[in-house]
Amino acid sequence: MSTQLPVKSALDDIGTLYQERAKRARELSKQGKGVVGYLCCFVPVEFLTALDLVPYRIQGSVREPITMADSYLETIMCPYVRSCFDLALKGDYEFLSGLVVPHSCDTIQRIYDIWRVYREPKYHHFINVPHMMDPSSYEFFRKELELFGRSLEKFTGQKLTEQRLHHAIRLHNQNRALLRGLYELRKQDPPLVSGTEVTKMLIAGMGLPVEEFNDLITKVIREVKERRGGPTKKPARVLLFGSEVDDVAFVQLVEASGANVVMDDLCTGSRSFWEDVDATADPWGALATRYLRGIHCPRTCVPQGKDRHDDLEARFGYLKPYIHDFNVNGVIIYIIRFCDTYELDAPDVREYLQDQNIRSLYIEDDYSMTTIGQLRTRVQAFLEMIA
Amino acid sequence: MQEKAQQQGAQQQPAQQKTTAAKSTETVRKVRGMVKAMYQGAVEAKAKGQPVAYCMVGSQYDEIVRTMGVFPIWTENYAGLCAAKRDAERFIMKAESEGYSNVICGYVRTGIGFDAMRREIGDTPPTSPDGGMVMPDLLLGSSFACDPRFKWYQALGHYMNVPSFSFDVVTPPVTTDLSEVTEYYVKYQHEQLKGLVSFLEGQTKKKLDTDRLWQAVKLGDETWRMWYEVDRLRRAIPGPMPSEDHYNAMVPGYYYCGTPEALAFYQELRDEVKARAENKVGVIPEEKYRLLFGGGLPPWHTMWMFNYFESLGAVFVIENAYRQYDPVEVPAHVKDPVEYIAWRSFLRMTQRYDKAKQRSGNPTVERLLEFINDYKIDGVVFHATRSCRATTIGQIHWKNLLQQYVDIPATQLISDIVDVRDYSEAQWKAQINAFVEAVDAHKSKKR
Ligand code: SF4
Ligand code: SF4
Repeated sequence: MSTQLPVKSALDDIGTLYQERAKRARELSKQGKGVVGYLCCFVPVEFLTALDLVPYRIQGSVREPITMADSYLETIMCPYVRSCFDLALKGDYEFLSGLVVPHSCDTIQRIYDIWRVYREPKYHHFINVPHMMDPSSYEFFRKELELFGRSLEKFTGQKLTEQRLHHAIRLHNQNRALLRGLYELRKQDPPLVSGTEVTKMLIAGMGLPVEEFNDLITKVIREVKERRGGPTKKPARVLLFGSEVDDVAFVQLVEASGANVVMDDLCTGSRSFWEDVDATADPWGALATRYLRGIHCPRTCVPQGKDRHDDLEARFGYLKPYIHDFNVNGVIIYIIRFCDTYELDAPDVREYLQDQNIRSLYIEDDYSMTTIGQLRTRVQAFLEMIA
Repeated sequence: MQEKAQQQGAQQQPAQQKTTAAKSTETVRKVRGMVKAMYQGAVEAKAKGQPVAYCMVGSQYDEIVRTMGVFPIWTENYAGLCAAKRDAERFIMKAESEGYSNVICGYVRTGIGFDAMRREIGDTPPTSPDGGMVMPDLLLGSSFACDPRFKWYQALGHYMNVPSFSFDVVTPPVTTDLSEVTEYYVKYQHEQLKGLVSFLEGQTKKKLDTDRLWQAVKLGDETWRMWYEVDRLRRAIPGPMPSEDHYNAMVPGYYYCGTPEALAFYQELRDEVKARAENKVGVIPEEKYRLLFGGGLPPWHTMWMFNYFESLGAVFVIENAYRQYDPVEVPAHVKDPVEYIAWRSFLRMTQRYDKAKQRSGNPTVERLLEFINDYKIDGVVFHATRSCRATTIGQIHWKNLLQQYVDIPATQLISDIVDVRDYSEAQWKAQINAFVEAVDAHKSKKR
């Protein structure tokens, strides 16, 4: 990223934070703050913030070969989750004082029972997220959130009042609005901010207290608007669809191959922040609704539509404004191997995109630098085709 | 977490010598006919205008589906049948050519491939095992135990325009204080089942007959109780019924549940196993080692491996696959059969939680420890099924935990439920030989 900004720019900060993503959380932990690790985007982080805990989104590393996890985890499962656990075994997550795992997919559900046994976090909790979206699912989920709230109260010895929740909701909604604001800058051609920069930003932010992250985004937006020398115009404008992308390697590869990555539908990206929590009088209900209905993940079963067209629209219709508003001309479906829900959705996503006259490339990857490097030719061929 | 069912019966096919067990019980020989009757029955039901539904095993809805007059086709069973007949590959390849990843559940790939082919040729794929699965009128998925249980049927929307309904089957984590969650878990389960009932009522234009449902539930419970008795009899030495028989004997329990045939089958099996136990009739002439199939689904494509173990004097006397629950006691105040099923489901899913909390912290490990103790087990074999996350993740962990409580040899074989493309017979034989030697050495040491 070429910027002509002073050395201590917010974008530089992002770069550093991205490189040492746990640094700030470690510092806070040393100062006595409770830092609670969580997996996936189904954990309502507002609960943690409300009780003055720092939510830390656990990540893996495509750069670190998985070695220790082999003695605990089968190789036929999501390598991202294996990597997260491998890092935990290697001591990278010792600063966490707690672990929250939602029932997102089969693999995440099963890692809970394994992780808590071998790492023995002081606090751990599992949130059973329904797969269905009926009114009864909502009622059930609300109860699950109440249980989660009570467990956190026990852990912290503090009361999770509605007032605190409202405050946390405001902060996190502000965060969402800021991130959407950052994404706005990707709509132009060329975008003002690159996919690589945005990825760094998101990953760095996942380990920061929300107020600090909000400050950072505000500064970055300002800098990006003022700087000269942002991304250049490229023939392809790509949306990246998939799950966990917690490294810039693949995004960089795409951007070095003739495209700007201008939008994403990723667990580490827009999927986790696109929808706000309603600022209603009932924070519990608002959180239950948002985390059940506001995350477009294939692990949640959207009720069948009246015909095929309707069905695909109900499941993937949210992609339409992404494609349209961000002027996307190609989608890369980037799936981590052994991820059943995404792998089973992929042909349907492609069908939907084809109906929208959008070409797509399907890639299944092993979550490692070696395999990412091998994808270049396929990506280049695709980008040439859509350019 | 345990698994879902599957059937076979195809092991008895004379053409499939390699998958035929050495010494099966007489009663189990009936299963092959029952399997055929399922697929033939679906054809007949359809011809009579009775709705036919694709169903996923373990979804807790068996009695409801039957009472509503819907004829179930158990799609995982069909995939296992294809695998046992070594006729799954063409379906798997078809699914993959349609863009489905080659690591997706083998059952799912087989099923999707079958339906993709049917759509393409406009007819049942020729020479499909047991005549193929009839075109369903309904798809009934669930979230029990794995994600593919509802994602599979969602994907079928590409190949058929058929009403589909999926619902949640929920299980709390073992760490939960059950007194805090039972009420809302059961309530949710009940609501979800009621959703299924109203979907079926809408589709069949019939009201649920609760008296008939009660009868089916009672039959279902009695069937499972009888099945449980069979398995308790298998504690005898020598083992009167091997695991390869179980993988047939599960068919009535899982695919005929709530019918009188299923109950009659287990009564007969119980009598036979009892007689064998009393007369010390074993599986092989000299049972040297008693093994536990610790988890993972059976390798349907390679059921000969049980014979191979037996040739080395090792018999699988009990298994932790396609069996889920011991009988449970639903509170007496429950008067509605749908609510009863919700309770039963919850109690089944949580049945070793208290025990687990007192010892290993893991209900599956508790069950394995019970088996090891009650069935005098000398070694444990797990089967890591490459394409099934649900029954495979955790096996190494169980194995690790087990070692904290018992000193017992354990191994993990790796292949798939259906896909044989990356399975090596030579490697398995070598691993089995080494394992049986280890079991022998361990046994001698203890003597
Ligand atoms: S990538 Fe897929 S398998 Fe891995 S954690 Fe996410 S949803 Fe689960
Ligand atoms: S993933 Fe496993 S549990 Fe689920 S349907 Fe496939 S084989 Fe059965």
